[in-house]
Amino acid sequence: MDEDLIAKKDVLEQTGISYGQLYRWKRKGLIPEAWFIRKATVTGQETFFPREKILTRIEQIRSLKEEQSLDELVPILAPESAPETVKCDDPTLLAPVGAEGRKLMWKDRGYTFGELVALACGAHALRAGTRPAEAKLLVDLVRAAEEVVRAPTGITALLGEKSIDQEGVSVRLTVGVLGHEPVKLDRESRVKHRVDMEKIVEQVKLALRGVA
Amino acid sequence: MEGQNISISGSGRVSGGEYGQVRISGSGKVDGDVTAQEIRVSGSGRFQGEVKAKEITVSGAGKFTARVEADVLVTSGSCGIDGDAEVKELRSSGAQRIGGSFRGHYVRVSGVLHVARDLETDVFTSSGRFEIGGLLSADRVEVKLVGDSRAREIGGENIDIRASSGLSFGFSLARGFRFGLGIGTLTVGEIEGDRVHLEATTADVVRGKTVHIGPGCRVGRVEYTESLEVHPEAEVGERIKR
Repeated sequence: MDEDLIAKKDVLEQTGISYGQLYRWKRKGLIPEAWFIRKATVTGQETFFPREKILTRIEQIRSLKEEQSLDELVPILAPESAPETVKCDDPTLLAPVGAEGRKLMWKDRGYTFGELVALACGAHALRAGTRPAEAKLLVDLVRAAEEVVRAPTGITALLGEKSIDQEGVSVRLTVGVLGHEPVKLDRESRVKHRVDMEKIVEQVKLALRGVA
Repeated sequence: MEGQNISISGSGRVSGGEYGQVRISGSGKVDGDVTAQEIRVSGSGRFQGEVKAKEITVSGAGKFTARVEADVLVTSGSCGIDGDAEVKELRSSGAQRIGGSFRGHYVRVSGVLHVARDLETDVFTSSGRFEIGGLLSADRVEVKLVGDSRAREIGGENIDIRASSGLSFGFSLARGFRFGLGIGTLTVGEIEGDRVHLEATTADVVRGKTVHIGPGCRVGRVEYTESLEVHPEAEVGERIKR
């Protein structure tokens, strides 16, 4: 969890947003509660944010709010309010899934939001060079975890690999793990692929918005 | 969709469900989740289960043991909600207690309001007493202090805290206290807003664009970006311009 943090006052200074906007966006759920990290400093308690996430989010809100009201932005950006009603017939149109992602779970039509997120996780792994059978593990894992799709903040899906050599037989195991950061594997396992669920959910939402 | 009406005027118990009106003027208990157009409690009512209603009026004693969702909640008696409350408009001239957090658009307090966790609304106005265990977040916070109020944090665009009468008649705060003029105070850990005007407020930290620290304030540190005014009858530790 050695994430790069930025103090609240530096966020305001760098982006030029006001306290009013920051609190309003938090109230609307556009900035998740989990990003507000309170820390003790020499001058007392201060609030910090994950630097990259908050700066990206503020940029997104600003560029999108020209065309849409804040309330309309919530389902697009806020990861804790997943679009329950999404039915997508052709996921290859969504960049995070693409043609390779679709192959991981074939359906004629009507992919749900959770399924799209699961496919995006699989595609993410495929694009990093993971074998399809392993990427499929991720898809099945995420598909079965609806609550993660609704509240993905701080959650990681990963593929771990472990080799076992015993009496001349060598087995290589790949496992899928889904959990809150920090996710730990035992020392003999290595992480093959890692997916930040919050980012994936957001990418799928933005892609859906482009298609709609 | 519209269910039947129920009215308890003696002592009674009904089970949850979908109703038009629920009126309790005696002593009533509702077991299970309730959805209703209107709920009126003028006697003593206890709701055990989640409650969803367009309008809830409590002029007697209302007790809700779980989450409450409503467009309007008006309390002139005593109303306790053990869970979270999602209420668009809350007007409390009685005693309102919320054991979880509150989300809404408009809050008006002229009685007493206790919220154990965060209170989030667009507009918060008070001429009563409030205690917020977490963050009070609103675009507009307008408070006329009566009695002693507290919040862990206040954040928003405009934050305007005024001491009640006395000051305008030329009394100093210290004398006001001595003569017991009923001047209220506010105690907060942290206040952050774009325009902040404070009176009779004790805070560890105040951050804002334009900050006015009025009479009777005790502030550990002020951080401001545009302007800071401090009344001679206020104490401010550090002043930091960013």
